[in-house]
Amino acid sequence: MRYGLLLMLTLLLLGKGLYAQQTDPWTADHLYDPQLLADKINQQQMNTILILCVGPDALINGSVDIGPTQDPDHLIQLKNFLKEVPKDKEVIIYCGCCPFARCPNIRPAFQVLKEMGFKHPRLLNLPKNIKTDWLDKGYPLID
Amino acid sequence: MKRFLLLLFFFGVTNLVHAQINTLQVGQLAPEIALPQPDDKIITLSSLKGKLVLIDFWATWCAPCKAEQLELKAIYNKHHDKVKAGRFEILGVSLDKNKTQWLQSIERYAINWLQVSDLLFWRSPVAKDYGLEELPYNVIADEEGRIVALNLHGEALSDFISNYFKQTD
Repeated sequence: MRYGLLLMLTLLLLGKGLYAQQTDPWTADHLYDPQLLADKINQQQMNTILILCVGPDALINGSVDIGPTQDPDHLIQLKNFLKEVPKDKEVIIYCGCCPFARCPNIRPAFQVLKEMGFKHPRLLNLPKNIKTDWLDKGYPLID
Repeated sequence: MKRFLLLLFFFGVTNLVHAQINTLQVGQLAPEIALPQPDDKIITLSSLKGKLVLIDFWATWCAPCKAEQLELKAIYNKHHDKVKAGRFEILGVSLDKNKTQWLQSIERYAINWLQVSDLLFWRSPVAKDYGLEELPYNVIADEEGRIVALNLHGEALSDFISNYFKQTD
């Protein structure tokens, strides 16, 4: 009986975690390593990439500030900005306000990248937030 | 089998718990805060000595933080006599970037307790001073500025403040 209860709770917890992952529009292959991006910025190797901030503040050096894409106006701004961008460009979006699971901005923005046919849509892998996963690591910032 | 299930269970639990890695401990002095209010006048945490202070770290871009403002309002109203007597205060510290949005939220939630922000988002020095890892987060400092509780929410927060005043009245 005790094992049965434990098994049920375990499946419930794991199931909840899996469900959260399944509802994301990206896969693990779409995640972009922050260290890799930091190295590219530091070495000024940004010709093939475009970095877009879709959150409250663009902190990453070289990124374009679109604004929080939970706001429909900013989502339109993102679409307008991307109209002129070649579809084979590697477009990296980031927010970093909150953990991925709670972020209101990255899902609509990533969905736009997919809908507009970008071949290499990327989400910067800041699973906790931009402080922990970027600032605290000393990666390059906008002055 | 039992050991395997236990391992799986704890894996599941830790996956769901949003743990704040505290650098602060109960009993320590709360780090000083000196930040501008909406009218740009600086207020310091040390100026609130003599009061129990609930320091609420929040932002308008943080949905759970906004939801919690209603709970804070209930706590503030419940202990309004203590506020009037100079024994209790809430200090809202916003990690916002956009001042307009910050002011709009203050108005929308009819926040009538102290509010400060340097509008530096996660770059705010208070984020480092308080070891903030995610929002919402709060610290309760006693009359001497010493931390008496960390990151309480919901009933636990409300009960802590009520019990604190029961014990000190």
